[in-house]
Amino acid sequence: MVDSRAIKRVDKYLYEIDASFREDMRVPARLYADAELLEHALGDASVDQLVNTATLPGVVKYVLAMPDIHQGYGFPIGGVVATQLPDGIISPGGVGYDINCGVRLLGTHILEEEIRPYLDELATAIYNYCPSGVGKGGEIKLKSGELDRVLEEGSRWAKARGFATDEDLERTEVGGCLEGADAAAVSAKAKERGHDQVGTLGAGNHFIEVDVVRDIYDEEAAQRYGLFVGQIAVQIHCGSRGLGHQVCTDYVQRFQQTVQKYGIRLPDRELVCAPLNSPDGQAYLAAMKAAANYAFANRQVLAHHVRRAFVEALSGKVRNPHVFQVYDVGHNMAKIEQHEVDGKRITLCVHRKGATRAFGPYHPDIPSVYRDVGQPVLVPGSMGTASWVLRGTEEAMRQTFGSTCHGAGRSMSRTQAKKKVWGGELREQLEGQGIRVRAGSMSGLAEEAPSAYKDVDRVVEVMHGSGIATKVARLVPIAIIKG
Amino acid sequence: MIDFEEVEHTADIALRICGRDLSELLVNAALGLGMLLADSADMPTDVVQTRQVEVQAFDPESLLVGWLSELVYWAEKDRFVCHKVEVQEISSTHIKAACTGSCVPELRHHIKAVTYHNLQIVQTDRGLQTTVVFDV
Repeated sequence: MVDSRAIKRVDKYLYEIDASFREDMRVPARLYADAELLEHALGDASVDQLVNTATLPGVVKYVLAMPDIHQGYGFPIGGVVATQLPDGIISPGGVGYDINCGVRLLGTHILEEEIRPYLDELATAIYNYCPSGVGKGGEIKLKSGELDRVLEEGSRWAKARGFATDEDLERTEVGGCLEGADAAAVSAKAKERGHDQVGTLGAGNHFIEVDVVRDIYDEEAAQRYGLFVGQIAVQIHCGSRGLGHQVCTDYVQRFQQTVQKYGIRLPDRELVCAPLNSPDGQAYLAAMKAAANYAFANRQVLAHHVRRAFVEALSGKVRNPHVFQVYDVGHNMAKIEQHEVDGKRITLCVHRKGATRAFGPYHPDIPSVYRDVGQPVLVPGSMGTASWVLRGTEEAMRQTFGSTCHGAGRSMSRTQAKKKVWGGELREQLEGQGIRVRAGSMSGLAEEAPSAYKDVDRVVEVMHGSGIATKVARLVPIAIIKG
Repeated sequence: MIDFEEVEHTADIALRICGRDLSELLVNAALGLGMLLADSADMPTDVVQTRQVEVQAFDPESLLVGWLSELVYWAEKDRFVCHKVEVQEISSTHIKAACTGSCVPELRHHIKAVTYHNLQIVQTDRGLQTTVVFDV
């Protein structure tokens, strides 16, 4: 395990492990944290995992850990690793099994006091419209060949089917469709896992949450994002479901031999990778994009279901049940982006695994309505605690390849959490705080107990204090829907 | 001899598995996975079915991951959980087996995938041992 003596502090919230720490490191490793979060990170194998990523061929500048870092497998969760094209590597493990897991934030014109009397009906309607649970299929039946369209067109497919508006697409990362996705690079088994799961929530830490915007920290950005104090908002946290898991499984398996072909030596087999300009690297990139598009389409259909639930539960009871999109952004992806390194603009493959893109003002990839304030960053908290909307900054472009944290980050294992917390008790506790809970499984609820996570406010404070992503709004939950 | 136990991991689930030889290790890995997926008490006894599995890999570790990934796929596809394995053919890179089990009404855990994280099959005094981390 990495000793704290190997870590030097370079700024108030920034620590560094020099590249000389281990012989096989190609670049230094940097961690954003305060003293307590750093201690957390050193408590398990996360920092060792971060150091392992610094050995990857083609890695540039430094590898990064966000303050919500925790132990994963291969790459740590909360890690950012950029490699240089053309021959730098792309690693399926650097994206993770839940490709393009991400968050969508929906806004409304409804005030908290308007919705309170109907909250039970709304929570039940959302739960009924949005299928959840392990391996559960949904009501969207895809025609023969239609899954390939989902994979190659993402949210554009959803719009063609009437599940999305132009505004939804405009307010989604890359317009909800990564160009260059290839359905043929996705295995039959992955397609089999994905064919009936479009518009489903799944299980684990995925959820839909009805929130109230409690505090605004940045009036200008909040106004631009359409957020105000007392407003009802909805978060959807979900990814590419079984299809994405299978795509990652397939390529991690295939790349076990690929690394031998290219003579790549690695400290952990989960880090397997391929040069981006190789046929293997290109095949994974095309498959990953396809799975990412599936995830965009999935969150889009879920948003459509949420809208139906709002109409069903609230029509005639609130002034305006309309639900609009604020933004949708992934936190498990590898993207080909231009960044400035040592004074030169170069093309990189930025792996974000449990890290959110946070582009600063005037970046061309930000929707025009938000361009001068910066990209909205969506940071969900653990169940029952606050979530945050931040905005991307120039500092993020300079320091973190335009990336920031993605959530609270686990601090306790699922087994430990279940030993300490009983699902039914947790539900009562949440209900006692005025939070409605609709959950398929009580043990699943216990695994996601807030005490199993770090404090999201603390994580956000580090990012805000570093100037990487600054606070716009703080949301608190009033209804939680999960599998 | 059935020999596996769950070990702590911050975000995911890990399973330590032992076996006198590779065949027993793979059988125990499948049974350990079955335990994570469903309580034996919840397994329906009236609709037992047997499915054939064949996996080809290039070393014992990739065989273990390929084998378990197949069972994870079935668990997600139709909640099939296996509680008995009969190995018909085995080598360090190939397994052919009959898996007996049933489709359960509800899975205990959602296992997304089987990882290679620090995966190594090692020889100990008791035989072979390994720890597999599952992404959940």
